Amino acid sequence: MEYLLTRLDDRILSLNKAKKKALVAYLVAGDPSLDSTLELMHGFVDAGVDILEVGVPFTDPIAEGPIIQAAHDRALKNNTSLSDIFKLVEKFREKDSKTPIILMGYMNTFLANSQALQEAHTSGTDAVLIVDIPGESNLEKFGIKNKNLAFISLIAPTTSEDRISQICNKSSGFIYYVTLRGVTGSSHLDISETEENINYIKSQTLLPVFAGFGIKTPDDASNLSKISDGIVIGSSLVEMIHHQSNQKEFKKIYNYLHEISEAINR
Amino acid sequence: MDNLTDLPNSDGFFGEYGGKFVPETLMHALKELDETYAKLKNNPKFIEEIDQDLVQFVGRPSPLYFAKRLTDHYSGPQIWLKREDLNHTGAHKINNTVGQILLAKAMGKKRIIAETGAGQHGVATATVAARLGLECHIYMGAADVKRQSLNVYRIKLLGAQVHAVDSGTATLKDALNEAMRDWVTNIEDTYYIIGSVTGPHPYPMIVRDFNAIVGRELRKQSMEQFEQYPHAIVACVGGGSNAIGIFYPFLEEFNVALIGVEAAGSGLMSGKHAAPLNDGEPGILHGAKSYLMQDKNGQVIDTHSISAGLDYPGVGPEHSNLKDSGRAKYIAVDDDEVLSSFHLVTKLEGIMPALETAHAFAALEHIAKNYKSNQHIVINVSGRGDKDINTVATMDGISLD
Repeated sequence: MEYLLTRLDDRILSLNKAKKKALVAYLVAGDPSLDSTLELMHGFVDAGVDILEVGVPFTDPIAEGPIIQAAHDRALKNNTSLSDIFKLVEKFREKDSKTPIILMGYMNTFLANSQALQEAHTSGTDAVLIVDIPGESNLEKFGIKNKNLAFISLIAPTTSEDRISQICNKSSGFIYYVTLRGVTGSSHLDISETEENINYIKSQTLLPVFAGFGIKTPDDASNLSKISDGIVIGSSLVEMIHHQSNQKEFKKIYNYLHEISEAINR
Repeated sequence: MDNLTDLPNSDGFFGEYGGKFVPETLMHALKELDETYAKLKNNPKFIEEIDQDLVQFVGRPSPLYFAKRLTDHYSGPQIWLKREDLNHTGAHKINNTVGQILLAKAMGKKRIIAETGAGQHGVATATVAARLGLECHIYMGAADVKRQSLNVYRIKLLGAQVHAVDSGTATLKDALNEAMRDWVTNIEDTYYIIGSVTGPHPYPMIVRDFNAIVGRELRKQSMEQFEQYPHAIVACVGGGSNAIGIFYPFLEEFNVALIGVEAAGSGLMSGKHAAPLNDGEPGILHGAKSYLMQDKNGQVIDTHSISAGLDYPGVGPEHSNLKDSGRAKYIAVDDDEVLSSFHLVTKLEGIMPALETAHAFAALEHIAKNYKSNQHIVINVSGRGDKDINTVATMDGISLD
């Protein structure tokens, strides 16, 4: 699919120029509330996050481990919908016009809102990552099209070589490499296998390759940043948000992100 | 219309339904399964092995039985029962598991996982895993663990581990979510035996093919016993494996009416039901596009049915295509109708159907009047009701303690 250059491409180009690795941070919209999500998004950026990945809650998120599942459930208890999330992005853009925003979620939620997705870029959304659709699929077939958005695809350790090249051909923005066999928040990181696979992917595409799933400590982040173009942090943030939410005190989270951001560019 | 028996296409679509909507990690395993099945399904040795198991281990063919007193009761068509309740382990589910366990063996997998609602598929999976000495894990919604305690204990006796799933609605849908998460994590050594014609391609096709033995036997038996094909075949539909198994060999026999019966729970108007084909919209859940109980935001909504095996918001993609094409009709009956039908069949025929199956019997109240006394209706008796005694007693206000 032809698509126009987005804020995401700008950010990737400037990171590249500065020879910096990208820090992508994930949180679930509406957990614990849309107001805190907005506050956290700005806080993340101040702490050194380069790209925001906003989780769109779904009742049956089959790729998520228990931590993110529970966050989806909490967000749904608040009736967080995709149109609420577009409004959230719009509000975020009032103060931040540079940081790219990726919406990450499941096909059924996007399918139910395929009409709205055609306007998604006007809210300030830059990309969509649909977890449960094969990367080589033609989304237009399902009524999902918007050339102003990048569609990010996942590649896993189990992805075969012929599918890697198909997925690379269809992708825009960056390639999201799933570092392990498992759900989000697992702990089976295998650095040497990851390195080998990322090298292969990079031989097939000019797009940057980010690594995600199972990254918890600044050490994990540092190790993975050496073999990739950036890293994604999810479950550990979501867990911290949940435990902090009562006191509305997010400083610990920002310190953690700051530490990670330093670790990947050391 | 495409020739319905030629579906799915190579991408796993039945018309616009089906497909493979799964996390990337699973794509390779699905391809591997697809290739293994394509290679084995016409292999004479593989077919012989399955046929032998179906005869000697499952007890096939299951009889086609004339229900005389039920026929007299409705004084309409002649009512025949395809007795899947007489299979080893008590339901049609074993037809699928004896087939899939051989695929697992051929692929060299050492660990078996499955989801279950009513527990019948859990029992059928634990049974075949025990027979091959394979490690087996069954995921079951915590609510179902309670209402199907007899089957939970059977699964444990067979040496499998039961994992109660607390997330979401704690029923079949959540058991499926958890089984998929296990599969993503243990993809290298684990085979996932899906229990219905749901999930990503190639599962809906494989589970259908293994259950189609029921319809193939019926073609032969109906000719032998009443010298024609039935005028109508009636089966309950949750995911829809027993229904598709008996429908599939008749898809091109256009004089045979195919009637699926969904769970109307507390009534279609109440919204508390499990009847996506009657009151749902197309959507994507558990790897396939199909009719789905969902809200306007694409969130899956809670279901309700007296029967754990039908308490599922989705349905197999092939049924969605059969609905849209008009080849099959889908109706729904509510919990009260099901309970009275359960009692009626038990008393009149001495056959205690599973609550799932009782949905198919309850449909007779609506459709029997449309047929004449020289016409034949076949009810697929998908399973027996022993597992449901506690539920029935509770509904009738009787304590068994």
